[in-house]
Formats: sequence, C-alpha cells, structure tokens
Amino acid sequence: MPRVFSDYRFYGLLIALLAMLLVFITPNTLAKQPIYNLTIIVDITRSMNAMDYQQGDKAVSRLTYVKQSLHELLATLPCQSKVSLGVFTERRSTLLFQPIEVCTGFNEIDASLAALDWRSAWAADSRIAQGLKQTLDSLKNSDSTLVFMTDGQEAPPVNPRYAIDFSALATKKKGLIVGVGGLQAVPIPKFNEKGESIGFYSADDVPHRSSFGESNLNPETIEGYDARNAPFGKAAVSGTEHLSALQESYLQQIASAVGFHYSRLTDTASLKQALQDAQIATLKTVPIDRRWQFATLALSLLMCVYLLPHCQRFTFKYFTKFRRA
Amino acid sequence: MTLAVESPYWLLAVLLALLPLFNTAMRTNPYPYTVLIPADALSTAIVWGIRCLSAATIIALVLGLAGLHQTEQIQERIGYGANIVLLIDRSNSMDTNFIGKTPEGGEESKAAAARRLLTGFVQKRPHDRIGMAAYSTAPLFVLPLTENKPAIQAAIDATALPALAYTHISKGLGMALSFFDQTAMTGSRIVLLVSDGAAVIDHDSDTALRQLFKQHNVRLYWIFLRTASSQSLFEPPKDSRDDNAQAMPERYLHQFFSSLDIPYQAYEAENPDAMQKAITDINRLEQSPLHYQERVPKQDLSTACYRAATLGLLLLLAVKCCEVKR
Repeated sequence: MPRVFSDYRFYGLLIALLAMLLVFITPNTLAKQPIYNLTIIVDITRSMNAMDYQQGDKAVSRLTYVKQSLHELLATLPCQSKVSLGVFTERRSTLLFQPIEVCTGFNEIDASLAALDWRSAWAADSRIAQGLKQTLDSLKNSDSTLVFMTDGQEAPPVNPRYAIDFSALATKKKGLIVGVGGLQAVPIPKFNEKGESIGFYSADDVPHRSSFGESNLNPETIEGYDARNAPFGKAAVSGTEHLSALQESYLQQIASAVGFHYSRLTDTASLKQALQDAQIATLKTVPIDRRWQFATLALSLLMCVYLLPHCQRFTFKYFTKFRRA
Repeated sequence: MTLAVESPYWLLAVLLALLPLFNTAMRTNPYPYTVLIPADALSTAIVWGIRCLSAATIIALVLGLAGLHQTEQIQERIGYGANIVLLIDRSNSMDTNFIGKTPEGGEESKAAAARRLLTGFVQKRPHDRIGMAAYSTAPLFVLPLTENKPAIQAAIDATALPALAYTHISKGLGMALSFFDQTAMTGSRIVLLVSDGAAVIDHDSDTALRQLFKQHNVRLYWIFLRTASSQSLFEPPKDSRDDNAQAMPERYLHQFFSSLDIPYQAYEAENPDAMQKAITDINRLEQSPLHYQERVPKQDLSTACYRAATLGLLLLLAVKCCEVKR
C-alpha cells in the first residue's frame, strides 16, 4: 500500500476536493419563501388630505403618510414579488400599471408612488363601497391580491336605501383593507384652483345627508315631507361631514363581509404585519445558495491539514514533558 | 471595474493563507543531519511553489465564501433612441371603436388599438427611455422615464381597464412636459400624444404651455384617433360659423401646436392601419444618436473563486500523491 494512504492529510485534501465538487454539482437547495403579488389601491379623495399623522415632529396628511409607509414597505418586499399601483376616487379605481417585479422595477414603482397626488382625482365624490366593488370586479381574473388603503369616509353620505350589499361581493380571494387616519375627527384642508391652501372645509361646504333617490324612512316620519319637492323633508340638516375621522367600524364591517383582513395603518411595521396576518403571500419554492456550506467544510479540512501538525508537535512536547516528570 | 464582497468579515479569514508558510502538508522524513544536504534552487522553488499554491487555494475559498462580486456598472453608450413620454387619453370615448360605437364581436376599441400599436412600438425601440402619463379630467403620473421594458409594458397593459372621465388636455400636456424637468438629459425629447379628442386650452395654460414647450425643446407627435363622425384637423369647416375653438377643439388644438414653433407632426388615424403608419413614421424619424446609460448588472465572481479553489485542491492532492517513500 502506498505510504500516502496512511497520511490523514491525504484524506483531508481528498474530502475537501470532494466537497468542492459538490459546490458545482448541487449548488442550491430549495426553500419556500413568501412572495407577494399586490395591487395597492390608494384613496386620493380630499379627506386623505386631513393632517392627522405625525412624521418626526411634523404633522403630515394621510396621503403623505400612506406614500411614506408604502415606500418603506416596497424596500422590504422579497424579490420576485410584484406590485401594481392604483388610485381610487369618485366611485371607482384605476390602475397606473399592472404588477411590476419589485427588485428590477423598484425605481419606477417608487417614482410613481411619490407622484401620487390628490389632484389626480378625476371627480370629487368618495364612494368607497362602490369603489371597492368596482375594483373587486376588475380584479376578478387577476391573481393579484387587493390592498385597499382608505379612511372610509363616504362623501356625500350614503343613502341606506341604496347601500351596497357586501355579502354579494364575498369572494374566496384574500385581501386587505387598510384603515388610514386617526379616530379623532379633524378638519379637511381646502385648496383653491391653483392648489393653494385656503383653510378648511366648513359645515356649509358639504352635504350632510344623501339627497339621492328616495329616503329610506317612512314618509310620515319625515318632517315637511313632500313627494315631489322635498322627498327628504324640509328641515335643514347639519352634521359633521366636513370633519373626517377614520371610519374604522364601517371598514371592518365591509372587510368581514367581503372576507378581507382589516388593519389600521399606524406605521410601516404594522403594515408589514398586516400583510403577514392577511396570509396573502404565496409560498414559492426558490433556490437558495448553499455553496458556502461545502466551501466552509473544505476550508475547515484545509485548516486541519495545515494546523494539526503544529498541534501534534505541541501535544507531543507536552506529553514527553509529562512523562519525564 | 469595482470589486466588492457580500460579507466582509469573511475577509479576516484571508490570514489563514499564512499557514502554509509554516507547513507544506507534506510528510517530512527524519534525516540525520540536514546541513549536509547541498542547497538546491529547484527544490526550494518547488517548496515555495507548493506553499503559494496552498495559500492561493485558501484565499480563493475565502473570497468565494465572502461573496466576491463585481458591482453594478453603468456604461455610457451611444445608440439610436430618444426620451419619449407617452401621453395617453383615458377619456370615456377611447373605449368606443373608430366609428364611435361600443365595440362588438371582433371589433377593436380605440384604446385597444392604441395599446396594441404602442406595444409594438415600444418593442421596436430598444434604446429609448420611455415614460408615461395619462389624463382625463385630471392628469395622472403613471411611470417615470425608464429603460425598464417590462415596466413600460405593464403600464401600457393597465390602459386596458375602462377609461375615466372627460378630456382636460392642457393639464395632461403640463404633466407630460414635467417629465423633462431634470436637466441632464441627452437625446431628443418627444411627447407622443395619443388621443381621440381635444378640449379648449384656456388662456393661462396657453401661455404656460408655450413657454414650457420652448424651454424643454420638445418634439411633439399627435396621433389623433379620429372617429368617423368627428371633424378633420386639417380641413376648415363647411359652415364658417363653426370655425371656433368650442365647436372644433381638435382643429384649434392643431393650430395651437403648429403655432408653437417646435417640431410637430399630427397624424389622423381613422383606423388601426393609419395609426400603424404614424408609428412607423416616428420610428423612422426619431433615430438620432442618443447617449444612453446601460446598466451592467452585478456579476457574481464567487463561482470563479470556487472553481480556482477546486483546481488548487486538485493540484495539491496530485502533489501529495507524488510523495515517495524514502
């Protein structure tokens, strides 16, 4: 038998070489990783201008805060995830683009996100329930998951007679409604034609009750009812529709009817948590690089080859000393 | 060329490459009196060769583990292309066909025709930076100027959804021109307006737009998807009483564009074929040289390191096998 076979260093080198061959034979291991495909619809109606979020020590509008949180969320989404961005106003939403992969398209998505503006609203109503319904319909054939971010303020108020029956909307698809804003009602900033701030909406600026169609009440109970001239009664109504707060119970009610998860936007971490809680990620098998395991093995074996002789010499000396003593 | 590593702490392990200086991993033979052996240059060279080989193997392994890579490079190239902003009309009428009716059966709506042709256009122009804005009653920022073709395609695909509201063209134009605000930009600047109608441009916007068009040095192409019933851009109306901006907004918009004193071309596309011609034309005309930056993505070098380490190990093993019995 050649003498080399009795040397452990030969085996060290041999096994290290075999380990390195494995680097090229099976470089990857398969693992499951959560991948998202999100269609994020952001409410850009006027009430989203209400300033009830804090950034540092500055008060910022709901829309600004949503944009900031989404910007931070975008950076944390795993590669291969896709994001599509859309805006909601009036009674429907529109998509800016179909889902784009987040790692290659980060700059593009981020720039579009930064450009979201309440002035892009093509009409002024805020019919959230109808908007959600229309959005769900348009996403019927898509494999993207809806994330709807709104403060839940219907403007003008909904006539209960024509309220949307959400149980009809219930889908098997998962989704997320994110409530934006504070629970305390705050005034809504008002802007002139040139986009300059001119104070806040006052009680006289907005309708406080729906005057569309017929009232849901029994005409006999309506004060000053006149079928032709005053189907909602003659009395002036006052209300607090010029103030805006997050309509959390309303959104929760819609979410549970549709089968969506509801979460309030408090910070980016809460948004990330909501995505996890809503279980909208699909687990995708992705290859994970495991070459380092073999390389580390090879390196340790090499260390044995080069270090052990020194150790041996040391132990040899130690033992001989010990024996002599 | 810039090299970088993923996990820099691994680099400390490079020190391990010093180990072979003390030990060649070869079996030593006891020899009574080594001083007697004459110095041999070849032997010394071989010993050092083995040491260097061992050290190189260790270094290669460590660099591979640290994740050596070449960072993303931006290379300036010269190609043929342009900065193009697609300004898309999302008004309701875009959902009708070229005779102004809701498309039936195999018919194509104006929006669908525009989408199909724009897709082809984008694919034919590999070096362009393309951005997109849309407008109806209000302007909508869609996508910044980018070379990312899948993203552009995603934006074009999104116009398949139903259209929005009315036509407010001056705000849309303002939005499209704002894409050119960043000054450092070579190559020609193009706004490609795709619409099926126009609206009156009010006096304030008129002045502002004139200034912006001049300032940004923009070329304008207007693909007017003309519905059979609507008026032509080029012919004066039969009844002179109709010759005003309210009755014929398209014709007046055309006159406004013509008066801007910028390179401007209008195409009346009355059916999908005419639109195809317009796009071919633009494709042919806009071939001026453009400095563009090509992104060379990060290149992983760890595989090369591992390959070198494997080769080193193979050689070391071979050397080991060359050991002979005394």
